[in-house]
Amino acid sequence: MENIIIPQADVIPVAWGWFQALLLLTFPIHLLAMNAMLGGLAIGIVQHLRGGTVEKKLAHRIAVALPLVIAFVVNFGVAPYLFLQVIYGQFLYSSSVLMGTFWILIIPILIIGYYGAYLYDFKFNSLGIFGPFIAIIVFCLLLVIGFFFSNNMLLMSLPERFTDYFSQKNGTMLVYDNVTFWPRYLHMMCGALAVGGLFVGVLGRFRKAADIELADHCERLGLNVFLVFTLVNVGLGLWYLFSLPHSQLMLFMGGNIGATALLVVALFTVIGALVMAFKRKFWLSFFLGVTLVVFMTFLRSWLRTDYLSDYFSLDQLQLVPQYSPFIFFLVTLVAGIICIAWLVKKSADAFSTP
Amino acid sequence: MNYPVWYLPETGGGFLIALIAVLHVFVSHFAVGGGLYLIYAEKKGLRENSPAILEFVKKHARFFLLLTMVFGSITGVGIWFIIALVNPAATSLLIHNFVFGWAAEWVFFLVEITAAFVYFYTFGRMDSATHIKVGWVYFISAWMSLLLINGIIGVMLTPGLWAENMDFWQGFFNPSFWPSLFFRTFIAVMIAACYGYFSASFVADVAVRDSMTRFSAKWALVTLALMIPSAIWYISVLPVAAHTMVMGKSPTIAGMMPWGLVGILGLLVIMLGAGIYRPRFNSKPVAVLSLFCALAVMGSFEWIREAARRPYVINEVMYSNGILKSDIERLNSEGYLRQALWVENKELTGDNMLQAGEELFINQCYACHTIGGINNDIVAASKNMSFRVLTKYINTIHERRYFMPPFVGTDREAKALATYIAGGLLGKETIAAPLEMNTLAAARVLFEDNCSSCHGIEDLSPAFESLSHKEITAMFPVLDEISDEMEPFSGTAEEVKLLADYLHSLNNPVAPTGVSGAILFEDHCSSCHDLQEMVDIVDGQGSEELILLLGTLNDISDEMEPFSGSATEQEILAGFLESANKGDQ
Repeated sequence: MENIIIPQADVIPVAWGWFQALLLLTFPIHLLAMNAMLGGLAIGIVQHLRGGTVEKKLAHRIAVALPLVIAFVVNFGVAPYLFLQVIYGQFLYSSSVLMGTFWILIIPILIIGYYGAYLYDFKFNSLGIFGPFIAIIVFCLLLVIGFFFSNNMLLMSLPERFTDYFSQKNGTMLVYDNVTFWPRYLHMMCGALAVGGLFVGVLGRFRKAADIELADHCERLGLNVFLVFTLVNVGLGLWYLFSLPHSQLMLFMGGNIGATALLVVALFTVIGALVMAFKRKFWLSFFLGVTLVVFMTFLRSWLRTDYLSDYFSLDQLQLVPQYSPFIFFLVTLVAGIICIAWLVKKSADAFSTP
Repeated sequence: MNYPVWYLPETGGGFLIALIAVLHVFVSHFAVGGGLYLIYAEKKGLRENSPAILEFVKKHARFFLLLTMVFGSITGVGIWFIIALVNPAATSLLIHNFVFGWAAEWVFFLVEITAAFVYFYTFGRMDSATHIKVGWVYFISAWMSLLLINGIIGVMLTPGLWAENMDFWQGFFNPSFWPSLFFRTFIAVMIAACYGYFSASFVADVAVRDSMTRFSAKWALVTLALMIPSAIWYISVLPVAAHTMVMGKSPTIAGMMPWGLVGILGLLVIMLGAGIYRPRFNSKPVAVLSLFCALAVMGSFEWIREAARRPYVINEVMYSNGILKSDIERLNSEGYLRQALWVENKELTGDNMLQAGEELFINQCYACHTIGGINNDIVAASKNMSFRVLTKYINTIHERRYFMPPFVGTDREAKALATYIAGGLLGKETIAAPLEMNTLAAARVLFEDNCSSCHGIEDLSPAFESLSHKEITAMFPVLDEISDEMEPFSGTAEEVKLLADYLHSLNNPVAPTGVSGAILFEDHCSSCHDLQEMVDIVDGQGSEELILLLGTLNDISDEMEPFSGSATEQEILAGFLESANKGDQ
């Protein structure tokens, strides 16, 4: 404990539970959008390379959707990143600085990847063989971004590594040498591929009235992808679980009733999702898959709390109440949702009109 | 001091912030003003029943989407990333205080991107009235984003009462909130008009190109005109220190101002000449030039706004290097290194002055200074200074140059920093050379040590007016006879002579000696000028002129104060400069 450096946290304006709730509410949305982006793109690339009419049609649908999905991945990432800074800022700012050079590289990488996605969309037909090539580059760039995110999210939980700063002040510290890093990263990425299958199924559903063949193909392929990668991810998840330090492992092995119960429920959800996917029940698979992602974010949060428990707990944050801005935000949120609902309705009307 | 410093000595964090921020604001303001532009351009197309104009609007909307959605929104996240990397303490303070302002801004951002997609993808598919309404939803949500961010970043320049009570609403509606909001709204529409002008230059149909060029030019000129009163209003609400700097006291601002003015003039010429008068003159190169002019206006505004709050990152609350103003007193008495978290040298020993000095540099100077980089290179800035002068300079840095934060820490820590800069970076001696004992400067030190607690030079000068050097010397052993409060001077014979020299010189200026003049030059001038440069400046001026010049330095530049030494020292320095000039010739 002597050599651990932990910055002083700033005061918070409302009770920490609100921030934790907002974080747990918004992060799964970001994660689902990220999964749709990454998994959807991977499926699109394979379909595009495989050829065939319906496959190419699906690849094109995914290419059209991709820039929109990226926009929402970024947007839905803003909110949890904001709330994470509020309750874990002293760890997150420190870890971000320690890997600052890589952290800021995310921005140009994302800009290039995003423009690549638009290029793939707008020039899908004219690009020819370069289309999938560009899509593969975009996919690799997104994997790199995920790699940096995994590093930062792990590093912020490891304040015992912070003193490495003194030998690396230029922001080039990464923690992929940590025993939990690779299973953690691969678990996240494989999960994205699985959920990407569900996204492709939904894309097909939206087009069912216009193109039944495409919709059937999407659903069949999507469920297959979901089934296979979820199975693989169970293995990766177990690898991740057993790579955890003993105290964190025990948290899910009866050490903490809540965490253990949640893991058990998550495992049952996995089984349910796999069975439903096997039985070709799309919406049930979809519902269970989404629920599983939500449970996983809760487990992840639990794990972070335990990682930091030697140094910090959320109730140590000093509260200097200012609730009126919070109310202002909630009102804005309701108004925003109404606006978006109106926009979606008008958009759907426009597209349903022949 | 609470957070680690991301240390890239040759690049500097400030440069990275400026790079990302200027490009981002140029596009993000377009994202706001562009919404309004699209609505009215579409209305124009509908009113004139012109499919060609509507086609132009659709193409412009696609360009708008590609630029604002990708570059605009990702560099927005980029700013967030980079400020948290370069100044995590300030970012944390603002995030924690204004979290729900940012959260509300996120909601508007969400509505904004949804509306932008709906607007673009339903162009020609949706009925016009609804499509225009979607445009309004976009513009209002984008403008609300601007309003919210404007409130939060405004507090960094004009915190008002927030600096004391940290109340969200008082901070949000800070003194510059309204003028800044108006200014930013006008500049946003002006930039959007320039982008519209740029898009128009690509149109092949001459009639449409002329029509949209003139339309864009009108928008640019009207908003340019409206920017001026709002800028004056904005400047008028600035705190005194920021106001003084904007009006020329800050060299950064003085250097940036012409860019903004050139940008405004360029836009006036282009929009009047190649917009209103002869829209046909609008070509791609001219349109690109107009964008560069708009970038110069936007960039110089942002640069000036950032520079105006120096030496603070959050005015009156936190200095640029992340040190809270309220912590200064405690850190000065307890020592900076002991309290800083991310330093290895917690205590100063005789052996670690260089290493500790480097850590002090990283923590206190690196926020603005690079080492050998293009942005505020510390090596170039301090190359004329000796270790002794640097030590003195560091301790009075904020008083000498307001826009630099005060050095925080003990005197020994200041010496450690001077050791690092003088010894580590400049390769100079890091032992303060003892003053030559035959100099007036050394005599002045004697005076300060023995007399100045009760006497000022100005008080004593008349009393010694009629006394000879010998008479003054004779007084020292019998000071107790003059007043019970004094004791005989106990210095050595050499010190008696020096002190007598000094007191005698108050009324009888001695011929300037090279050494004392050099020390005065070093103390007062060398932080900004080297000797050769000064010799060139004072070329041909006599001693009398130079004395006058030294007393009115503020007339030459706002950055300088009149010479602050005594009248004698002023004469000595003038003599030194004159003799250096003659020697040079």
